[in-house]
Amino acid sequence: MDSSLVMIGLTNVLSFNNIACILGGTLLGLFVGAMPGLSATMALALLLPLTFSFDPATGLSMLASLYVGASYGGSIAAILLRTPGTPSAAATVLDGFPLSQQGRAGEALGVSLFASFFGGLLSGIALLTAAPLLGTLVLEFGPVELFAIAVLGITIIGSLAQGSVISGLLSGGLGLLLSTVGMDLTTGTPRMTFDQINLFGGIDFTVALIGLFSVPQALTLIENSHQGGKVASRITDRLMPRWSTIKQLMPNILRSSGIGIIVGLIPGTGGDTASWFAYNEAKRFAKDKSRFGKGEIAGVAAPEAANNAVVGGALIPTIALGIPGSSSTAILLGALMVQGILPGPNLLTDYGDVTYTLIWAVILANIALLVVGLAFTKMSVSVTKIPDGFIACAILTLCIVGAFAINNSLFDVGLMLGFGLFGYWMSKAGVSPAPMVIGLILGPVMETSFQQSMLIGNDSFGVFLESPIATVLLILALLSILQATPFFRWLRVPFKRRLKHD
Amino acid sequence: MHAKALRHWLTITAVAISLSPLAQAADYVGGDEVTVLQGFKPGGGSDALAQLVQPRLSEILGVDFVNEYMPGATGAIAWTRLAKQSPKDGGTISITNTPMLMTNYIMNDAITYKTDELTPIANVVTDPGIVVVNADSPYQTIEDLLEDAEKNPGTVTIGNSGVGGDDFFTTILLEQAKGLSFKKVPFQGDGPSATAAMGGKIDASFNNVGNVYGQIESGNLRALAVFAEKRLTSLPDVPTMKEKGVDVVAGSSRGYSAPAGIPDEARQQLIEAFQTLAKDPDFQAQAEKRAMNLDVVTGDDYRAMIDKMESDYRDIWESVKDEVGR
Repeated sequence: MDSSLVMIGLTNVLSFNNIACILGGTLLGLFVGAMPGLSATMALALLLPLTFSFDPATGLSMLASLYVGASYGGSIAAILLRTPGTPSAAATVLDGFPLSQQGRAGEALGVSLFASFFGGLLSGIALLTAAPLLGTLVLEFGPVELFAIAVLGITIIGSLAQGSVISGLLSGGLGLLLSTVGMDLTTGTPRMTFDQINLFGGIDFTVALIGLFSVPQALTLIENSHQGGKVASRITDRLMPRWSTIKQLMPNILRSSGIGIIVGLIPGTGGDTASWFAYNEAKRFAKDKSRFGKGEIAGVAAPEAANNAVVGGALIPTIALGIPGSSSTAILLGALMVQGILPGPNLLTDYGDVTYTLIWAVILANIALLVVGLAFTKMSVSVTKIPDGFIACAILTLCIVGAFAINNSLFDVGLMLGFGLFGYWMSKAGVSPAPMVIGLILGPVMETSFQQSMLIGNDSFGVFLESPIATVLLILALLSILQATPFFRWLRVPFKRRLKHD
Repeated sequence: MHAKALRHWLTITAVAISLSPLAQAADYVGGDEVTVLQGFKPGGGSDALAQLVQPRLSEILGVDFVNEYMPGATGAIAWTRLAKQSPKDGGTISITNTPMLMTNYIMNDAITYKTDELTPIANVVTDPGIVVVNADSPYQTIEDLLEDAEKNPGTVTIGNSGVGGDDFFTTILLEQAKGLSFKKVPFQGDGPSATAAMGGKIDASFNNVGNVYGQIESGNLRALAVFAEKRLTSLPDVPTMKEKGVDVVAGSSRGYSAPAGIPDEARQQLIEAFQTLAKDPDFQAQAEKRAMNLDVVTGDDYRAMIDKMESDYRDIWESVKDEVGR
């Protein structure tokens, strides 16, 4: 039955509409990634409500390919402008920009494109093989196990926030609190709704998502719009890299892809971590380390292979368990929810046709990326020159249209704007919105499954220890909390010493 | 003057149409365009009904149907709009799901519409309730389940689609009829409730035939009984609760209603359109293909069906609400 779903997914993707959407999504992602200040997450949040009217396969293909396209697009601005287009392209700046100053911008972009392609393709294949293995456990997952999954998911909140763990917990806690708004799912009692009928169904997290990710970005763009124009380097050499260059970089690309997949797999870490990790490893394995930072082509290939490989890796826990590994995958999970698919282990069985469509779309999007990248990279340079003010207005318009489109409700537009202002304040205060979104998504799952578990287990907490799966997951959650505390660092000290002696 | 003449003509045409079954397009007094408020997201069960019914209804009445989706609060946002803020000219109707239509406001004072603010037009489908267990369950028959529940009160776990849904109330109806006490476990919809039964996480799931038929056929779930008047043609071996001496007939129904106070002609035309639709063999075949159990009840009969449900469910909720609130 599993293999037939794999084929259904493939045939779903291979329609004219979907291929057109994949090409369009990749191109859009390329442009969004190329524009400094616009992140893939924001573009996904904006596009999500517009995919409501599409059929699931088409909508998901478009979102997945946008994510893939943006992962490469970020390197365009990094190489030409010395500004990473997306946070995960930050490591690419180090060697990419010196290369473009030496008149080798085309070569750098070409290598970045091929590295992204290989990284993305490998991670897509990893996704296709690993997800079903985890998915075979589906029927073992009842409320008790779901609760353990949700707890594990919640513990990543602290590590999701860049910088302060405290502010991450604050943001996540607020998200959990907001997720309790609406009817209690087990008693039907409305909570914190203030007799406002629009709040009975809870806060639609897509509405929160658009407000939290897109509005602050638009406002920041407006703030900075008076600053002088950006000067981009020009592409003078050819884009298509030599076969010998690719061959020489292959071990590096494979290693970096592996790093990307594994880093993506770990919830709470994403493209930025993976690309720095891969860059450092590339440097460590290189014979001549001194060339790094001065225009070493391997310093472009490593982070770019890694950040595209993260896409497939991060989707593995998202699809197999329903735990979003990053804010981008949280939105892709949201896209599944929009199609009436609840996050959880049955993504691969009951909704297998849609889920496998998503997986195939990720793989195909990488092939599309190669085509679109070769054809449009030179053109995308002009995108980086659009004044920020125009972009900001376009984003705000799309935010309002998008929020309205979700439930045809003006109340949601107001709610979105409220979240937007709050998100703007959060970004000024250095608090990441990602944990809040994870809290909003996992909160109801955790609460409902807890109440169901208590009913099934006759109000005894022992019910969580009777299930081996739940026990393992809860221990993992405990470790995940401990590794953020001083206790764990103290435990690790002897190990580090031993390593040094060796 | 013009309007009056036009109206006169319309009446004459309407009467003429109702007399001649051959006529394809009539002039509907509610206008050329009818807005259908949908209380749930596109792609759900209500939308599926709309896709089946409205193209055919559009031919019969000679109007265009425009769906307006207003999901939220299990349909209450759309139904509040229908009862309180919609024009009462027959140009706005809504898909009404029972028992959610009444349990919404019976359970929550903040929801203010009532069924007497509506004009019920026609019920179209009813998905009967069904009791399913895991294929490996020790319960072979419904008697096994009931006996076990009698011996161990409050421990047999029964999944339902959520508090306020039909399965939740069906469980209570069975409890009251037999003097039993189950442990009711609410899920977010019929699907998760069925999956939990399949995984053996709960002892049984009270569900709806349309949602679990495939799993019963493939042998993942075993059906113990249906809450229908008589045995279903699709599941001839599954006994009804009535056969077992328990007079509980329940399910989840979907139909169409307009706001209260629409013109009598509009109401009559709508009702007749549904009666014509019910006789259409192509419609019947399509419904069967989509596993929709047709149960067309029109006009005053639909009103009576809604009124009876409203008083029944109000009584049930009064008797159990303190227990559920915990």
